[in-house]
Amino acid sequence: MRLNRRNFLKQSAVGALAFKVGGAVVTASPAHAYAEDFPMQVLSAEERAALEAFGDTILPGAAQEGLAHFIDSQLAAESADSLLIIRYLDVPPPYAGFYKAALAALDAAAGGRFADLSSADRLALARRMGAGEVAPWRGPPAAFVLFVLRMDAIDVVYGTEAGFDRLDLPYMAHIAPPARW
Amino acid sequence: MNEAVDVVIVGAGAAGSYFAAKLQGAGKQVVVLEAGPERGLEDLVSSSIWARRLKWGGPPVDSQGVPIGHNVNFGWGLGGAALHHYATWPRFAEETFHIRERYGVGLDWPIAYDDLRAHYDAIQREVGIAGDAEDEPSRPPGEPYPLPPLPVFAQGERLKAGFDAIGVDVGALPAAILTRAYNGRDACIYDGWCESGCPIGALANPLVLHIPEAKRLGAEFRTECAATGVLTDETGQARGVRYVDAAGEVREQHADVVILAASCVQNPRLLLASAGAKHPDGLANSSGLAGANFMVDGLAAVYGLFDDPMENVFGVNAGQLFHRAAYEDGRARAPGAYQWQLAPAIKPNDLAGIAGARPDLIGPDLHDFMRRAAHGLAVAAGFASTLPDAQNRVELSSETDSTGTPLARVVYRNAPEAEALWAHIAAEGVAAANAAGAREAWHGRPAPVHISGGTVMGDDPARSVTDGYGRTHDVSNLVLAGAGLFPYTGGSSPTFTLYALAHRTAEHMIEHWSEYAA
Repeated sequence: MRLNRRNFLKQSAVGALAFKVGGAVVTASPAHAYAEDFPMQVLSAEERAALEAFGDTILPGAAQEGLAHFIDSQLAAESADSLLIIRYLDVPPPYAGFYKAALAALDAAAGGRFADLSSADRLALARRMGAGEVAPWRGPPAAFVLFVLRMDAIDVVYGTEAGFDRLDLPYMAHIAPPARW
Repeated sequence: MNEAVDVVIVGAGAAGSYFAAKLQGAGKQVVVLEAGPERGLEDLVSSSIWARRLKWGGPPVDSQGVPIGHNVNFGWGLGGAALHHYATWPRFAEETFHIRERYGVGLDWPIAYDDLRAHYDAIQREVGIAGDAEDEPSRPPGEPYPLPPLPVFAQGERLKAGFDAIGVDVGALPAAILTRAYNGRDACIYDGWCESGCPIGALANPLVLHIPEAKRLGAEFRTECAATGVLTDETGQARGVRYVDAAGEVREQHADVVILAASCVQNPRLLLASAGAKHPDGLANSSGLAGANFMVDGLAAVYGLFDDPMENVFGVNAGQLFHRAAYEDGRARAPGAYQWQLAPAIKPNDLAGIAGARPDLIGPDLHDFMRRAAHGLAVAAGFASTLPDAQNRVELSSETDSTGTPLARVVYRNAPEAEALWAHIAAEGVAAANAAGAREAWHGRPAPVHISGGTVMGDDPARSVTDGYGRTHDVSNLVLAGAGLFPYTGGSSPTFTLYALAHRTAEHMIEHWSEYAA
């Protein structure tokens, strides 16, 4: 399929996540997009690195489940179609501005790149964000950033049929979500 | 130009679709304008993630002060918020209609419970409600429920023991969820996906109730058509609605009667955005109260972690058991009326999910909690009532949407009494969870739910926006519908009363059509 906005939105609307890969639209799960290293559509390489490192800090395994690809794909979609929990949280769309500002603040608070911190320092910084103890912090409120990204990480790790399996919970769908989630 | 019709309705949620079906059925030609997209049952994917598309996706609402959770509480597209509501359907308590007369606070309704009783009964028969009238705490008089109550799983049994132990009487939860097949719809299978929308139609939603009925009778639903204002004539009467269609074209739909059923926020936004020579401060706003008395109940989520399985993935999101403390009862214990819903079905993610119970946990601790709580978490949801306050209101923002219409701004603060009531409820719930034998018990932070008011009804045109039928005091052919009309709720879930009121008004409109269409 040739890539254009209409096709892209159509793919998004039918119930699978759409990614732009090499000029085509591909539907895939975020975990598959991560494994295949699909390119980001909205976020930069630096933002992706910070997001994945932060995701793995607050919920180990979130990066591999495609946290960055999930968020990036939704930032590329119409905000009314967004699957991100941020749409519930009284943040005006478009939501890319929030994520970019949050990730820039995270890197700055880390003194360069969050991804370059040790595991212990990453966790310590995340805990200080939750307590509102990071100063200076130049971005959306740190505790709110932690709240949103934590919920995003929970979505990709535990909000899917595979996630329910991890908790030994029956999924019991009336209408199953798309397999290429 | 569209051909003029009898009725144009803005909003295809619970109230709008109900009026469409009943007025079209009475021989009136109805057009419904819905800002959001077309939806079908096939869109109701069982997933907390995919369900986010059902929530508000329209023009942003500027929230000042205490957040009201606008986007998560309101719907978008055919079915509106009723598509993802939990279907807890209690009748309002008798005292709720007379709170000022009896206790000197808030605002009185212009009608009494007895004025609505027959309409509750009629809606209950049509839609189907599961419950036990004898076992439901504080249920006002009325017909028994047509369906047996919801089943109680381990989570409900355990929490009931705790509430019993602290002297809080809990009983059957009234729910517009079918426990047996009813009127051609299937029974619930208790898989807990209510908030994602119920594609089998066991949970009452407009896609299985009044939208198909209205369409079958000939009503027309136009989706992706955003109303931008109510049109008025030289006398100040409404003559239709201006809207922007899916192609971005500005259009007009003329009608003899205009019904705004576009939510507690969008209804006042449209009134205020419809200012004209005859009504410079906004339509139906001679009282200055269009947008005022906006109310938000405070949710207190209480959690108990148990060692044995709670079967918490089963059931319905509304819960299994119910308690209501009347204002009078509550005054002895707390400053206000409130409601408990025990043992909702929960999922791992989303705001009301397992992970949300302990937002402080991150890293390996979070995985550990998820594994324990997935089977051992029990939840009780308390709802603190709020009194109307004219300072809590919907206004117009200086910013506009893509159609040039000013955005809505909501200014909201909690009264000290509401915060004290919330604290009382949270403490009561934790005490009950501990009494039930929880290994740990705690409560979350206040969350905004049950939005109502903003265009309240009343007898006095100087102190209210509409009469007891929802007809605006200022414009006799302009009717408002939905929970925005409520002067007070007592902390009770609003949707059943929204329907009962719509039933009463639709009947009145049909019997007295010339008064409305004059």
